[in-house]
Amino acid sequence: MNPALRRGIGLAALASTAATVWLGLWVTPPSVQQGNLVRLVYLHPAIAWDALYVAFGLSAVCSLLYLWRRTRSLFWDRLAAASVEVGVVFNALTLVTGSIWGRPTWGVWWTWDARLTSTALLLVLFLGYLALRRVPAEPEVRARRCAVAALVAFVDVPIVHFSVNWWQTLHQNATVLNADLSPTIHGSMAWTLLLSFVALTLAFVWMVTVRYDIEVMRDQVGEEELEVSLAERWAEAQAAEPVMAGAGLPEGSAPPSPPTSGPAPLDPVLRPGEPAGSGR
Amino acid sequence: MSYVDAGYAIALSVLFAYSVGLVARRRRLARAVAVAAEDDAFASAATVAAVEGESGGDEPARGGGG
Repeated sequence: MNPALRRGIGLAALASTAATVWLGLWVTPPSVQQGNLVRLVYLHPAIAWDALYVAFGLSAVCSLLYLWRRTRSLFWDRLAAASVEVGVVFNALTLVTGSIWGRPTWGVWWTWDARLTSTALLLVLFLGYLALRRVPAEPEVRARRCAVAALVAFVDVPIVHFSVNWWQTLHQNATVLNADLSPTIHGSMAWTLLLSFVALTLAFVWMVTVRYDIEVMRDQVGEEELEVSLAERWAEAQAAEPVMAGAGLPEGSAPPSPPTSGPAPLDPVLRPGEPAGSGR
Repeated sequence: MSYVDAGYAIALSVLFAYSVGLVARRRRLARAVAVAAEDDAFASAATVAAVEGESGGDEPARGGGG
């Protein structure tokens, strides 16, 4: 991404988050029913929105695009990885901020409610995705595995969304994305809630772009290291060749055996300077 | 500290710390990529020099044998 555009998104995210905090903590009125606890509503749903729908939705779309032969590219795999990692942070924060709201409202930090449990399961599933990415494998193999894992994990997202409708839960029903699509929040509260969605989505986009760069550079470093080690092994093999040829040995003596602990002989196809993946 | 303050403090500080961590990771990797590129160039140059030096040393022997 263009660095100027990314900087702009970052600054917009900072400014809108600051505005959300100012409106949420000092400008909007307390709720009739919840009192000041309603101020957590300007944070928790927006964080959950970014985790469930934006981050994991994006990772599912990218995974589908990777698995589809016509659009298969490591770009989608890296974008999915970036989105999942940021999404996991948002998902964990969803649980934490929900718990902080639940303690004074419900009287407990945690309950095995359908919404809470399915959200916790989602966190575990996508932590599994991140663990799967760390299993050593060829980039294409890793990408295919992770794309399937992301799609399997994404099945939990609609379960989280509809859990409050399918089961009797302690968690309240959707305020904005309800069945009638008619938000049950009004005035400055509604605008502040909307601003929080925009602010945290901008923050999410900024984080994913930075995380995507990290994924690209991580692959580059891996390939560079492979190329350097191949070049070193090639040079060692070339340097060892005159010794291996047995020059200067007396007649009748056996030629020296190849070193068993040294570098393995190189594939003649591989040459220094060639891209690391060219031999695969 | 109220629950509201705690919620805002935790959420915003985690997001801020994660963002700073991302920027630090990107800078560290950018340096690693630059170093790896330099090493690669050095290794390639060393390999070329070694191969050229070896082929240069072989030539008289071939000439003498032929």
